[in-house]
Amino acid sequence: MAGIAGGAHGRVMPADTVVRAHTTQEVAACVKDAMSRRTPLRIVGRGHWLDAGAPASPATPLALDALAGIVAYTPGDLTLTARAGTTLSDIAAATAEHGQWLALDPFGTDDGTIGATIATASAGPLAHAFGTPRDAALGLEVVTGDGAIVRTGGRVVKNVAGFDLTRLFTGSWGTLGVITEVTVRLRARPEVDETWAVALPPDGAIGAACRAALGAAAAPIALELVDAPLAAALGLGTGPAMLVRLAGAAAAMRAQRDALRPLGAAALGPADIWQRLRAAEPPGSTVVRLSHLPDRIADTWQLADHAPGVWRHTTPSRGIVRVIVTNADANDAAATIARAATGRCTLIAERAPAAFWAWAATPMPNAALASRVRAAFDPAGILNPGLAPDAPRSHAPQSADA
Amino acid sequence: MTRAELTDALRAIVGPRGVLSRASELLPLSADGLPTYRLPPSLAVLPSTRQHVIDVVRLLAREGVAFVPRGAGTGLSAGALATGDTVIIGLNRLTRILSIDPVNRLAVVEPGAVNVSLSRAAAAHGLHYAPDPSSQSACTIGGNVAENSGGPHCLKYGVTLNHVVAVTVLLPNGDITTLGSALGETPGYDLLGAFVGSEGCFGIALDVTVRLVPNPQAVRTMLADFMSIEAGARATSAVIASGILPAAIEMMDGPTIRAVEASIYAAGYPADAEAVLLIELDGLEAGIDDDVRRVQAMCTEAGARTVRIARDEAERARLWQGRKKAFGAMGRVAPALVVQDAVIPRTRLPDVLHTIHEIAARWNIQVCNVFHAGDGNLHPNIAFDPHDADATERVHHAMREIMRACVDAGGTITGEHGVGLDKLEYMPLIFSPASLDAQCRLRGVFDPERRANPGKVVPVHACREWLASPAARTVA
Repeated sequence: MAGIAGGAHGRVMPADTVVRAHTTQEVAACVKDAMSRRTPLRIVGRGHWLDAGAPASPATPLALDALAGIVAYTPGDLTLTARAGTTLSDIAAATAEHGQWLALDPFGTDDGTIGATIATASAGPLAHAFGTPRDAALGLEVVTGDGAIVRTGGRVVKNVAGFDLTRLFTGSWGTLGVITEVTVRLRARPEVDETWAVALPPDGAIGAACRAALGAAAAPIALELVDAPLAAALGLGTGPAMLVRLAGAAAAMRAQRDALRPLGAAALGPADIWQRLRAAEPPGSTVVRLSHLPDRIADTWQLADHAPGVWRHTTPSRGIVRVIVTNADANDAAATIARAATGRCTLIAERAPAAFWAWAATPMPNAALASRVRAAFDPAGILNPGLAPDAPRSHAPQSADA
Repeated sequence: MTRAELTDALRAIVGPRGVLSRASELLPLSADGLPTYRLPPSLAVLPSTRQHVIDVVRLLAREGVAFVPRGAGTGLSAGALATGDTVIIGLNRLTRILSIDPVNRLAVVEPGAVNVSLSRAAAAHGLHYAPDPSSQSACTIGGNVAENSGGPHCLKYGVTLNHVVAVTVLLPNGDITTLGSALGETPGYDLLGAFVGSEGCFGIALDVTVRLVPNPQAVRTMLADFMSIEAGARATSAVIASGILPAAIEMMDGPTIRAVEASIYAAGYPADAEAVLLIELDGLEAGIDDDVRRVQAMCTEAGARTVRIARDEAERARLWQGRKKAFGAMGRVAPALVVQDAVIPRTRLPDVLHTIHEIAARWNIQVCNVFHAGDGNLHPNIAFDPHDADATERVHHAMREIMRACVDAGGTITGEHGVGLDKLEYMPLIFSPASLDAQCRLRGVFDPERRANPGKVVPVHACREWLASPAARTVA
């Protein structure tokens, strides 16, 4: 088998050194061994996120794709427990049989794993109504950097027993522990699920369009504005469009459709429009997210104006503009945007060349607390080094069998 | 610094009326609604301003004195109690709503702002604060953040965690930091998520930024009554599985119904029923009545005798008052009430409720169940006389068995009240030593000296680091 491909930013790992874990115990043994030898590990699901996040230092890949499968699923409880390497498509297939779904649609494809989704806290357009992975995760099993097997949260939908390690590990990019199992909250699939593409005037005011859409008497489960070049790439025509995903009981649909009329001419979008959007970026694109208050969306949006080869889309309710720099000069365009964003909004680099990170990434807030967290859970700094602030050097590592 | 010097130094910060040191004035701070715990503190300080809080915590940090942050004291887990030299910092004088941003649907409040006061202030903008604990007319937002509080409407809208956007935190060492952000995404670890629900062990919230939610276009409140708890539980499971997501599904059992109906909070529940479900649907006007009919049919199918739909706001308020004041109404049953809190998978409601009934019969105690059925969040409440030593002993035994039954069913030991002191002994039932140790490690990040709410949440013996410390050896 070929190496684990890390996407287009040149981070490909050789196959001969991959460690593939089949059980949590194997993960724990691998982490303990790595800790005792101070050899860093790069945690890999199905490899879709390797070129995302900050550039990781060289490390032995610990592959979790074989640590897969649904462990528990009681449809009446609307909860599901799966091993980290389980793909989103496998979860979608199992839950669809019972008219349910995991309402998370991270950018990429459903070939990604639940473990990576939680570890990166990646959220897509459905976050408008259903929140992000931190809102869906109920409990985790994690192997921390010292090889301890830790369970967080539980399998019920409400739980305040103990400190909330579930939230801590969600979005920690594998730098505090290796997520080996995930329990998530499911939702019942709506009877009707349809997406309308509302055509917007080519030079229309973004802010007004977002306000009108958010104020409409409808309850969309996703509301996403795409700019003209992205709309064209998605096959939606030549101008910008507002994608409105309506869902619910059939009886309630008509009034919601009517509520969209004032927004502009609406056409039923293609059934796979959201898959297209999630996987829109060409390989090698640089992707950054700009965010501020929702009512600042027009200002945030225009920070990426006039950059060539740039596609944009936004979830207006969350104030987040996702910018995809598609051309060969991505570095220059991304740098221009980052300069424009400095001091005006939060910039989070999703996928970017290593050089971009060196100067453009928003500094980690609470750096002192963050590095203490890192030291507490990965004392030797062996998990995904580079993705998080390294443990302070003054911290004395514990022995492996502590 | 001697104790008298410390008291004087605190008085110098907050003024003479802000320090309580006499037993009589400290009495109200010796409980938090759970009658099985009464621990009189030796000293309490009540800051009136943010700067007071900062100065107090920095003084205590310099002197190495432990403290317990306290809101309204409605937590029900003995989490806001202090013993020995530990000082209570009462935050319920910091009640201001600092700002409301109706466009971005955000509010910034001081920690002592009362939950319901925020919704009242937001009402002018057609907004409200969604988490609504039954104690919402007294409990504070700071306390809600500490406990990650829930409430009936959390079924649809989520708990405190899902509504807090940012918190300015005063760490136990006196440093101030902001977790989360209202101005877009926050890179790095989700320290805000870790802070919410940390029961005062990670520091004090100086201000809290929360999301506000638009008032729904339409609301329908219905009451279904059943001749058995099992039938009500079946109806709950059917509604949850159907895909309709009600704003709330609350259950009250026979003893609760009769206590409510005999009280001034009488809500018109059928007094001969063994269970009622209070179900609220909200959302868009279009289609809501179809959902009401479907829910009605599911209740009838499960055995409901009648399903009544509130005709107007007054009837709706009356139905809810019975639920929200049920704990108070139980004062008619016995002098004291242990309000318990546990969560089970929703499909297990019928059999676990049956088990709880058996446990109560075996220990000859009276359990009243009033709870968030839609989340599987049980509140088995035991009415008893705390002066009756034998009854108190039986209550403790029954409580342990009930907790174990919930854990055995795949549940957890608390859904919204927190661990505090009351649930410490159950933590090892749901977490392995390694998992408890991981929680200790997180606490150590925020409070390496373990001075903030010491002895709560995680049993001290679970902490490897603490066991290795000189303090542990002294105790041993």
